[in-house]
Amino acid sequence: MSEDQQTPQENAPELVSSTPQHSGFNYGIQQSLPNATPVLVLGILSIVMCCCYGVIGLILAIVALILSRKDRAMYAAHMSFYTESSYKNLNAGRVCAIIGLVLNILLIVIMIIFVAIFGLAALNDPEEMRRVLESYQ
Amino acid sequence: MKSVIYFIGLLFLTVEKGLLPWLKTHLLACPIKQHLGIDCPGCGFQRSVLALFEGDLLNSFKLYPPTMPLIALFLLTMVHLKFDLKHGAFFIKIVYIGISLIIIINYFYKIFTHQLS
Repeated sequence: MSEDQQTPQENAPELVSSTPQHSGFNYGIQQSLPNATPVLVLGILSIVMCCCYGVIGLILAIVALILSRKDRAMYAAHMSFYTESSYKNLNAGRVCAIIGLVLNILLIVIMIIFVAIFGLAALNDPEEMRRVLESYQ
Repeated sequence: MKSVIYFIGLLFLTVEKGLLPWLKTHLLACPIKQHLGIDCPGCGFQRSVLALFEGDLLNSFKLYPPTMPLIALFLLTMVHLKFDLKHGAFFIKIVYIGISLIIIINYFYKIFTHQLS
């Protein structure tokens, strides 16, 4: 990931010199990336919702990843337009979303494994479960 | 700001009949627990938060260990987004990784000590 961050800096001087034609009105004033805060919030919420539902957390994490991808491209194109702190927020949100995504997928895989081993009937009924567990011993 | 004060007042002034007893009888059921009969990695979170509201830290930790770090993470995120701390994003990442580790360890501990039902 560090390589991704450093590659745009090599092209930065050209971009800075060409900024007045691009921006005009806000040259010199840096604004924050538009999706930095939503990505951070969605990334953090994905782990909470993974605990709750599984599917909701997965959706939140994927939305956060897509939004962050767009903003990373924007930051790489015009580095001088946007504040560095918002880029840090964006990266933190991206890391959170990736971890949330992995946890959610892990949860779904674990649930599928449980169903595959024991079966739905055994999981819903304690008596049946006991019988299945005894048959393994 | 006013709404926050009202909310805290609701929590603390109406201990006998108010928000907390209402929340206790209106917990959301976990769909995985409903359909499969076993806990998911997040089961216990609501009970744990309610225990925390009552001031029972130990019980809150026993029900669901990551509750307090999660609330700390929420507070840290709010403060960071409001005041733009210098190393805020880094600390959020670290706390988040810690929480995910706690959740995983807690779930496997539950599996191997047969506390899942």
